[in-house]
This record gives sequence, C-alpha cells and structure tokens, in this order.
Amino acid sequence: MNTETYAVLLLMVVAWPLLLAIPALHFRLPWPRYLAIIPAALLTMLPGEVSLELPWLLFGTGFAMEGESRWILAMSVAIWFAAAAIMRPSKYDFVDQRTTTFFLLTMAGSLGAVLTSDLVGFFCFATLMGYGFYGLLIQNVDEAARRAGRFYLIFLIVADLLLFEALLLAAFVTDDLRFAVVHEAMAGASSAQFYLWMVFISFALKAGVWPAHLWLTVAFSSAGRSTALLLGGVPVAMALLGAVRWLPIGEQDFGVSALIVQGLGVVAVLYAVLKIFTRASGESLPAWAAVAATGLFVVALGGGLAHPALWQQYEFFAYPFIALLAILLATLAYLVGGTSDTKLPVVVPQRTDVVTQWTVRCIATIQQWIKERLSGIQSHLHTSWLKSTSRCQQIVGRQKPRALRNEWGVRITFFVLLGLAMAWLAE
Amino acid sequence: MNWNSWLPLLVILSSLLPGLIIFGLAEKRVRLRIMLNLLGAVAKIGLVGWMLWGVYNGIHYEMRLALLPGLELVLRAGPLSLFFVTLSALLWLVTTAYAIGYLEESPNRSRFFGFFSLCVTATVGVALSGNLITFLLFYELLTLATYPLVVHRGTEAARHAGRTYLTYTVFGGALLLLGTVWLYTLTGTLEFAPQGGFLDGLGDEHRPALVIIFALLIAGFGVKAALVPFHGWLPQAMVAPAPVSALLHAVAVVKAGAFGIVRVVYDVFGVEFAAGLGVLGPLAWLAAVTIIYGSLRALFQDDLKRRLAFSTVSQVSYIALGVAIAGPIATIGGVVHLVHQGLMKITLFFCAGNLAETLGIHKVSEMNGVGRRMPWTMAAFTIGAFGMIGAPPVAGFVTKWYLGLGALEAGQAWVVLVLAGSSLLNAAYFLPILHRAWFREPSGVWPEERDFGRKETAWMLLLPPLLTAAMALAAGLLVMLPFSPLEWAKLISAREFYQP
Repeated sequence: MNTETYAVLLLMVVAWPLLLAIPALHFRLPWPRYLAIIPAALLTMLPGEVSLELPWLLFGTGFAMEGESRWILAMSVAIWFAAAAIMRPSKYDFVDQRTTTFFLLTMAGSLGAVLTSDLVGFFCFATLMGYGFYGLLIQNVDEAARRAGRFYLIFLIVADLLLFEALLLAAFVTDDLRFAVVHEAMAGASSAQFYLWMVFISFALKAGVWPAHLWLTVAFSSAGRSTALLLGGVPVAMALLGAVRWLPIGEQDFGVSALIVQGLGVVAVLYAVLKIFTRASGESLPAWAAVAATGLFVVALGGGLAHPALWQQYEFFAYPFIALLAILLATLAYLVGGTSDTKLPVVVPQRTDVVTQWTVRCIATIQQWIKERLSGIQSHLHTSWLKSTSRCQQIVGRQKPRALRNEWGVRITFFVLLGLAMAWLAE
Repeated sequence: MNWNSWLPLLVILSSLLPGLIIFGLAEKRVRLRIMLNLLGAVAKIGLVGWMLWGVYNGIHYEMRLALLPGLELVLRAGPLSLFFVTLSALLWLVTTAYAIGYLEESPNRSRFFGFFSLCVTATVGVALSGNLITFLLFYELLTLATYPLVVHRGTEAARHAGRTYLTYTVFGGALLLLGTVWLYTLTGTLEFAPQGGFLDGLGDEHRPALVIIFALLIAGFGVKAALVPFHGWLPQAMVAPAPVSALLHAVAVVKAGAFGIVRVVYDVFGVEFAAGLGVLGPLAWLAAVTIIYGSLRALFQDDLKRRLAFSTVSQVSYIALGVAIAGPIATIGGVVHLVHQGLMKITLFFCAGNLAETLGIHKVSEMNGVGRRMPWTMAAFTIGAFGMIGAPPVAGFVTKWYLGLGALEAGQAWVVLVLAGSSLLNAAYFLPILHRAWFREPSGVWPEERDFGRKETAWMLLLPPLLTAAMALAAGLLVMLPFSPLEWAKLISAREFYQP
C-alpha cells in the first residue's frame, strides 16, 4: 500500500465514524457500528509507520501511526468491536438511534485521540469523546444513570478546563505543540510544575484516579453492560494515554511533585485493594479494579517524574500496559459488572454465567477472608476519626447513611496519612 | 473621484435603496418584497467580496463628502471595517431569509423589512465610518431604525421594551455626543487614525480630560454593547420577533457597540496611548465583571431568549476584554469574536425562534425531549451552545484560545481565570438545556404545535440555523485557511501593533 492510501486510511479512522454518526446516514446503513471500526481495524493490521500533517485543520494538527499508537489502537478496535457486538439497538427507535450516534461520536473521539500527534488535536478529540460518552452513560434513563452522568459531567468539565489552561501554558512556552516538542519545552520552563499539576489533576479526574474516583464507581454500577465495557477502554485508558503524552516525563526530576504523585498512586492502590476485599459488590468490582490499576499507573508516572533516565528506558511499556489494562477492565466489566442494556437485554451465554458465578464466588471467599483479617484494623481506624465525624454530623442534624459516613471516614484517614507521609518526605 | 471611491457608498446603498422601496410597497406584494430583499443582500455580499479582495491586495477605498465646515462624512474600507461589514452582510442575507419564513402571513411586513434594511444600512455605515462624526451619525440612525423592530408586535410588553431600549440608547448617544464634541475641541479632528490613534500630540495637561472623554465614549458605546451596568435594555428587548433578536445580538446593535469600543481604543486613542493613560485596566475589569455577571444571570433564567440575552451580555464583553488586554494576540481573540459570537449567537436565536414558531416553546422547562421532535434544529443549537462554552472545535474555542494566550503574553494571568469561570458558567446554563432536549422524555403535548407534515419545521426556518451552525463549526475547524475570520483578525492585529 502506498503512502497516500495509507494516509487516507489514517484520516478515515476518524472521519468515517464521524460521518456515520449523522442519524440520517447510519439509519440507512446496515451495521453502522461495525462499519465505523473497519478503517481502524485495517490500519492496525497494516505494517509500517505513517504520519499525516494537516496544516489547515485546527491550529495545524496531524495524525501518526507509530509503534506506540498501534498497541492502543489495537486495544481500541477490540473493545469497540466487543461493545458494538453487545449493543444491538433497533434502528427504528429514537433512543437507539441516539445511542448509536453517541457511540460513533465517542468512537471517533477516542480513535482520534490515539492517532493525533499534538496537544490541540488530543484536546479536541478527548472533548468529543468525553461528551459523547456522557450520552452513552445515561442511555438507561433512570435516576442512577442520571446521577452517574451528573458526576461524570462535572468531573469532565473541570478536567477539560484544567487541560485547557495547561494547553495555554504550553502554547505560551512553545509554538510547536507536538507531544515530543512540548515535553522538551515544558521541562525547562518556569511554569513546569504548574503545568505538571494541571495536566496530572485533569487526567486524574478523567481516569477516576483516587481520590477523584467517585464518578467511576457510580458509573460502573449504573451503566449498561456495553457502556461498562467501554468505561475501562475509553475514558480511563485515554486519560492514562493523555497523561503519558502530555506530561513532560523523562525530561527532568520533578522532585517533591513526583513524590506526591507516587504517594497518591500508592494510596490509591491500597485504598482500592481495601475496598475490593471489604466492600465491593459484583457490580462495583470493575470500578475498584480500575482505581487500583490507575493507582499503579500513577506510581509508575511518579517514578518517571522522579527518575527521568528510568522512564526513558522503560517508557515503551506504558502503552502495552494501558492496552492490557483496558482489555482486562473490559473483560471484568463484561463478566461481573454493568446492568443489561435497556432496550435489548443481553442474553449472556450459559458458559459465561458459570464463569461469572465462579468469579463472584472466588472473590466473595477472598473478601470474607480479608474482611475478617482487617476487621481489627478497621475498628481501630474508626475509633478516633469516625466517632468525631459522626458526632459532628449529629450536631448539625445531618443523618447520613452509615455506609457513607464510613466511606468518608476512611477517605479522610487516608488523606491525613498521606499528608503525614508527604510532610515526612519533605523533611 | 474614481470607481474605488464609490464602492463604500454603493455598499451602503445596496440595502438603503431596497429598504426605501419596500416602505412604499403594499402588503400583498410579497414576491417583489422578497426579491428586493434578497437582491439587495446578494448585491451587498458581492460588493463586499470585491472590496475584501481589494483591501487584501492593498487597494484603498475612501469617499469624502463635506458635511459642515471642518467636518466631513468619511466612508473608508480597511481591514477592521471590512471585517465587520462582511459579518453584517453575510448574516443579513441569512437573517432576511429566516425573517421571510418567520413572518409569513403576519401583518406589517413591509414596515418590518423596510426598517430591517435601514438597520443593516446603519450597521454597515458604522463599520465603514472613517471618522467619529460619521460613526456617530450612523450609530444614532441604528438606534432609530431598530426601535420600530423592537416594538413590531405592538403588545404592551413590546412597547415597554421599546421605551426601555430607547431610553438607554438615547442616553448612551448623548454621552457619546458629549465625548465627541469635547474631543473635537481638544484636537480639532475626529479622523480615525489606525496605528496609534490621533491623540499623540496632546500634552499632559489634557490627561484628566482625556480620561473623562474615554469614560464617556466607552459608556456611550457600552450601552449598546450591554456592558454592566448599561445592559438592562437587552433582556427586555427579547419580546421582539426572533429575527430581530438575531439582528440585535449578532449582526447589528450589540456588535455596533462593541465595534465602537474597538474603534475608540485603536483608532481614536491608540493602544499605547490608552495604556499610558491607565484606562485600559479599568476597561478590562469592567469587561471581566460583565462576563461573569452575564453568565450568572443567565444561569437563573427559565425563559430561553432571556437566557440567551444574558449570555450575550457576557459574551460580547470578550471583545472589550480582548481589546483592553492591549496585546497583539489578545487583540486577535477580541476582534475575531466579533464574527464568532455573531455566528454562534445567531444560530441559537434562530433555533429559539424555531422552537417558538413550531412548538410554542419559550421556556427551558418546556424543552423536555424536543430533540426528538426537532433533531436538526437542536443539532444546530447544540453546536452553538458548545461554541459558547468554548469547546473545540467550534469557533468559541478559537476565541478563548487567543484571549487566554494574549492574557498570558501581556502578563495578565487573571484573565485566564475569568475565561475558565465563564466557560464553567456557560456549561452550567447551556448543558442542562441540551440534556433536557436530548435525554428527557417529552412531556406529552407541546404548548402550541404547528403542523409541517413530515418536516420538523418550514425550510426557510430550518436552513438558516443549519447554515450558521456549519459556519461556526467551520470557523473553528478550518481556522488556518486564508480568509478565515482568524486570518483576517491577524491582519488587523498586525496592522495595529507591528506596522510603523
């Protein structure tokens, strides 16, 4: 295949699902959701690398298919294909047509984010993906879905605002906004720390990294099965990818900031593991697994920020890690999480049911075992913090459910522990 | 006087003459009226296109007519004026087409379209003015031509809104006249001077007077630009028909005020001189306050057009903010927003008009599930709303990008926070509308549904918002193309900041 055809295919990966998202078009075509993935699937299979510069688009953007992108693209194709297979809306109903539109818009956004080679392009596609995913998240028009959508939207807006500010900072430092150039330019800039935190917080919000995981847990437990499957592969994976591409990792030692990032990651992993083995129900299990995995990734990011040489040596592994993580989360979400899609409940094959039951039973056994072991530690944690919290709530007359109080208590405890750890490190 | 000198006048006459003829037409001469309207609009676009090409290639278009001893009526086409003229000419054509569909079978159409044409004539005159006195004349003509459009429906609410509008704008005009006369007594000229204004020769003894004159001029223009606290007339004027609202918010009135502020800062005072006087800081703060205030007020409006009106109060101040930041990049952001805000806001008002005309929907709370009934209209509305929020790749993103970058360049990082706050508030008052329209179940019967067969509404009502939404999207996506609004704004900024 010659370079021109390759470049056209690269463009079609994004343009084709965008075109098909127009209801008047996908209404008339068979299997629009599968059709939309075809260019991306073809691109994944083709060998070699290609890049395409589009100086007339946005502020001059470009797409590139490189070794690193191939991992993420392959993962995306697999997940989108699986989600398309699970979601089988009838084309004669408005709600289902709307769902297909949002499905295709989100797909275009996520595939574009994978292939774009600069910050502005990534920001645009991530925004498209983010708002498109909101449409998928609240396709089950019930209160739980609406609540999940509300949380997600608030986090998304705040994250996008922070990312926009970071984008301005980067543009202020360098005219060339390609990832590699920004990495180098920001590392030496006076606003590097500020940029680092803006980008980190933004992507942490988008990925549901602890303690910004609230939307993720709510979303996993209220989303339809197909959307739950996409949760790991689309917003979470794309946010992690964004963090790797935007953060100037491997360029300089970010000192205390890097340690704080690592600390956050460690606490996230501990917290999520604790939740998994003490409280997580089947439906929220993928959410906590996602929190743990993103925590792990944050530890690695922090390591890269602290030790540039180490990151340069092992940077490549970040991409397969993201891809693998997304696939695992999607599998987990399919097996144990997510409610059925509203219109056409998915008939889960008998074999999967057995697997599901086996998985849940195993986890329940382990949960029980850990619960017993941790009960002593938990009661100790509760004594001081939770009692005072409960007393305060009683004083102001707020009768919150006990579970919520406990959750906040644990959260506050971890924050304090983290603060103490940071203070100690700073010393 | 050569052919090039006549072109600015011809651009003005292309809407003035059809307007005057339409006044004399009987109500039943529908076809002739439509033909005159569209012919005038197309002719204007053709002439403007010609001048655009000429100005891009360095041709000078200027016409001078003696008005009074020492005062001339000057029409001049430069990059800045043509930027505004192009916006007005393009949107006039679209709005005329929309108004034809909107006012089908309603009374007093000749009167309406006559004043409509006069209104655009005045706007183009404002844009092409070569000195402050010419500007003032057309600016006042705009006030007078718009008043009959605001009260067009003849209801008590419309008359009240008209009175408020007239009170505010006449007051603003008086301030403007005072400032202009005072300035003339100091300088002896009112000729706009691109690249630095015409006040350079004045000594320090005039400094207090110049500060007051600046305040008078900004207050005068601020009335039409709806700067806080002069914004009160704009939400009330929402009783006017949708095409008039579109005209007020996107094409003519509000834009004329904002354009006046740009003229005062760039071509009367000059950026450096104004910065030296210390008047740009307060202007930036006033604009910032207006941006946040307008957004906050919009948040609590259930009436859709009132919500959009307060949104205009907020958004138009981006232009003043860009100018007041006083840097080349922020200037690009401010000036380009003249066009971007026009495209996005006219889309939103067209859509609001469609909802009112087709389903009788006037309130946000009545919009549940309207996306199912009118998907194309709501798709256009969605693009406009996302543009207002500043989400990429719609035009509003480009504006916020340049304003933010310009603020950082000028060392005024607080502006970035204002922009972020504004975006947050914009999202807070636009996204619930979109949620209702696309994700809520329709409540049953629409307030006043009209039957358009298999179509969601009449073609003449549906095509204009689709066209303007596509333009708003293109202005963001294809921002680097030659002749894009951004490229033109860059030309204006370069002329202001970099040319000797």
